[in-house]
Amino acid sequence: MPEITVRGLTKRYGKVIAVDDATLTIKDKEYVTILGPSGCGKTTLIRMMAGIIEPTEGKVFIDGKDMKGVPIEERDLGYVFQNIALFPNMNVGENVSYSPRVKGKSPEEQGTTSHKYLELVKLLDKMGMFPGELCGGEQQKVSLARALATGSKLLLLDEPLSALDARVRVDLRYDLRRLVKALGITTVHVTHDQEEAMSVSDRIVLMRAGAIVEMGTPEQLYTKPENIFTMNFIGETNLIEGWVRERSVGLCKIELRDGSELEVHSCPYDTGTAVVVSVRPEFVYPFTSGLRSKIVSTTYMGTYWRMTAESASEDEIDFDVPVSDGHLYKIGQEVYLMINNKATVVFPRPHEGIAEAVKLE
Amino acid sequence: MDRLAEAPKSTFLEKISTRHFRSGWKAFIIIFFLLFVILPTVWVLSYIFTDWSSIETVMGDPDLMSTIYDAILASFEIAAIVTVIDIIVGLPMAWILVRKEFRGKRYLDTLIDMPLAVPTAALGFSCAIFWAATSSNVNAPGFAPGFVDSAFLLIVLLHVVFSYPYMVRSLAAILEQIDVTYETAGRALGATKLTAARTITLPLFRAGLVTGIILCMARSLSETGGTMIALATMANSGNFETGPTLIGAWKSNPDLIPQLAFVSILLIVISLILLIILKIAVMKIKLPAGKVWPKYERILSRGWAPFLKDSTSSAFLFIFVLIPSFFIFTYVVVLPYQSAEWGLFWDSLFYSFIIAGVVTVLDIIMGVPMALYVARGHGSKIIQSLDVLVNVPLIVPTAALGFSLGMFWGDVPGIGSFDFILIVMAHVAFTYPLVVRNVAGAVEEIDPSYEETARTLGAKPLQAFRRVLYPMIKTSILAGAIMAFTRSLGETGATLAVVANANTAPVYIVDLINTEQFYTAGLACIVLIIVSYVFMVLLRYITKRRVA
Ligand SMILES: Nc1ncnc2c1ncn2[C@@H]1O[C@H](COP(=O)(O)OP(=O)(O)OP(=O)(O)O)[C@@H](O)[C@H]1O
Ligand SMILES: [Mg+2]
Repeated sequence: MPEITVRGLTKRYGKVIAVDDATLTIKDKEYVTILGPSGCGKTTLIRMMAGIIEPTEGKVFIDGKDMKGVPIEERDLGYVFQNIALFPNMNVGENVSYSPRVKGKSPEEQGTTSHKYLELVKLLDKMGMFPGELCGGEQQKVSLARALATGSKLLLLDEPLSALDARVRVDLRYDLRRLVKALGITTVHVTHDQEEAMSVSDRIVLMRAGAIVEMGTPEQLYTKPENIFTMNFIGETNLIEGWVRERSVGLCKIELRDGSELEVHSCPYDTGTAVVVSVRPEFVYPFTSGLRSKIVSTTYMGTYWRMTAESASEDEIDFDVPVSDGHLYKIGQEVYLMINNKATVVFPRPHEGIAEAVKLE
Repeated sequence: MDRLAEAPKSTFLEKISTRHFRSGWKAFIIIFFLLFVILPTVWVLSYIFTDWSSIETVMGDPDLMSTIYDAILASFEIAAIVTVIDIIVGLPMAWILVRKEFRGKRYLDTLIDMPLAVPTAALGFSCAIFWAATSSNVNAPGFAPGFVDSAFLLIVLLHVVFSYPYMVRSLAAILEQIDVTYETAGRALGATKLTAARTITLPLFRAGLVTGIILCMARSLSETGGTMIALATMANSGNFETGPTLIGAWKSNPDLIPQLAFVSILLIVISLILLIILKIAVMKIKLPAGKVWPKYERILSRGWAPFLKDSTSSAFLFIFVLIPSFFIFTYVVVLPYQSAEWGLFWDSLFYSFIIAGVVTVLDIIMGVPMALYVARGHGSKIIQSLDVLVNVPLIVPTAALGFSLGMFWGDVPGIGSFDFILIVMAHVAFTYPLVVRNVAGAVEEIDPSYEETARTLGAKPLQAFRRVLYPMIKTSILAGAIMAFTRSLGETGATLAVVANANTAPVYIVDLINTEQFYTAGLACIVLIIVSYVFMVLLRYITKRRVA
């Protein structure tokens, strides 16, 4: 039963540190996504797990067995490449039956395997076509079918949905999760799309600049992240600067830069500590009282209007209003904003500055 | 559109991107090829038209016909055996050069080309004293193996030396373009290294294989000077002849021109037919890659087997290619010191380098566009026939080639007095195909959508080439350029045929061998090799750095 652990995994290319001391365990049948901005080392990490590249330091264990010196072909896993890499000299059927073929399975078994997995990805009718004749999305599905056809219980996916258009991508990601769950497969799925990560994973591993920032269930990372970077990267949020003025059980008063006051749900920091209050736009409402602000931009988003306001404390605050109310707001107009204090998260103010702390690389 | 109309003067780039200019340029390239490469090369064939009756006389002589038949058969047998050997040992070496990282790789890489820089005559001599049983006046060093007494075997061994670098270069240049991810993907699916290479990379290799086979077969079929010297050096070559050696022997006798023309025609026609069949076969036949033997292939993919494979192919390189090529060096050790006229040698070396440089530049300017037309113009019959024609100068025996070139250029009024131009034109004729073949092989492997993408992004064809295609085919251009450069540097026979008293380094060295000044010849070869080696390492270094 595949369980994959990496310990202190590091990869350096000269001065570049692609992956920096990564330690994590993916449990049997778990669906884990590795999420992070472009260039943060996701591909490098998953490639080290697969044995495609050798780590500079650290170890990979599959089912507790040290994988050092074990070549890829003996790690018993399915891998979907970021650049798809379907064999151009073989047709779709031959691509999918490649794994059973090189494992010495009989021609009949090769046939049934490729049939089975092409059916799963609904591409049975494309069996005889060559990769060059398929569109990007179909190629990606074939590449998935090819990986599943290994029959392995461990699947490593490097951006498996990136070549698909938004709609198909959403459909396919649920299919993907359903499929691997039904087959009882342990999955590591690399993506830079936080929405995709939220909707398919049991657990998300968030990376930044080679290092793992935080791990947890989508809900944990969305509602109560430990790190301000996570808060900002997963979903959208407003970050408001201030100091703890008064602290009591279940309620905490924060002084903002213009001297005004903001009440938050709780905060573990002493009076006088410099903090950042995070609140997502969906928990900010225009009201008759609250933070005095001025609208600086309005954007139509389809199902709602996104308003950006600047408060008297010089914090930028986004909030959403229904489409029907869009006409009520004009740029330059004064509004008062209420914040749902149950939905706030307070972080100590990062010494390097907020902009630096939430920067992508 | 508007902006273009407003611009008062079009830029240079726009000018040369117009339709008119492009078709003019294309016509120029093709005419250059036909007029300066093909026509001089096959000028000897004009004999068919001017004097058919004397060729009929040749065909009516049964003794002569049987000599010719034996020689031509031997030529093709040798070419076939040599090519098969080259493929078997060249493939692992190409793999080592492209897919392995190790210290000193650049030096090994350059070393492989060095046999090409040794003048063919010196190479033939060097190989013969290494392998063959020789008579005592040759003074072959006592520690040479010197046991080969079959002329056929000696020539096979010699031609492997000549052609091995071509095979390795062509294969390596193509391998460089095949994405490693395919093999990695194969291995992630459970294939062993060997299985993945065999079932995925090898089938993608066809263009490279065709290039390599054509270059090797052609080199073996056309080699004259080295073969003649090797046969002359061995103690007892019997009456062994190849097609080219017949031509070489008949060349100096004006009465034997019909025979010479006849053998040339036979060699050219048979080789062309063979090459066409071969090309179709390699491209069309589906390789029997179906079967997989997981157990045995796993054994062969791990532990001692890959090590054995790599060490065998390295050992082959040293024992069968490098040591025989450079064996002439040993004279410097075993013979007593002799003084020599070094000033002359340095002059000739300088002259040879200038010629080789000019030739290579001409080859690239005229050859790369030709390669693009050949590789991208599969639809057109004209282009397809050009593709076949490009190989002709490679197949024509160098003796016949030199003879033909001499005949052609000698007939052009006025040019006969410009030695330098004559030699350059002669060398362009037989080096041009090396560049075209290598580059065309690489371009065929590249998906046209890259250039199309660049064009849709607004790039002019020339920009699309420079920014998109050029970086991808750079290694192949370099491979072709190195082959052309070294080939020009080493050529003796063809040079002598156009300019009887040419002052090039190979001519100087061959003179030394003919007058049995082995010590000086060895020393001159060493100098030639070292200078070429340093030059080549520098060239590689410069082109590598330009990428970074
Ligand atoms: N072979 C290499 N040599 C040098 N640097 C490398 C190499 N491979 C990766 N890197 C560097 O390591 C870092 C991480 O690369 P990696 O491909 O793992 O990123 P990623 O998170 O997968 O990005 P993306 O989302 O764009 O695929 C990058 O800065 C990259 O430039
Ligand atoms: Mg990546």
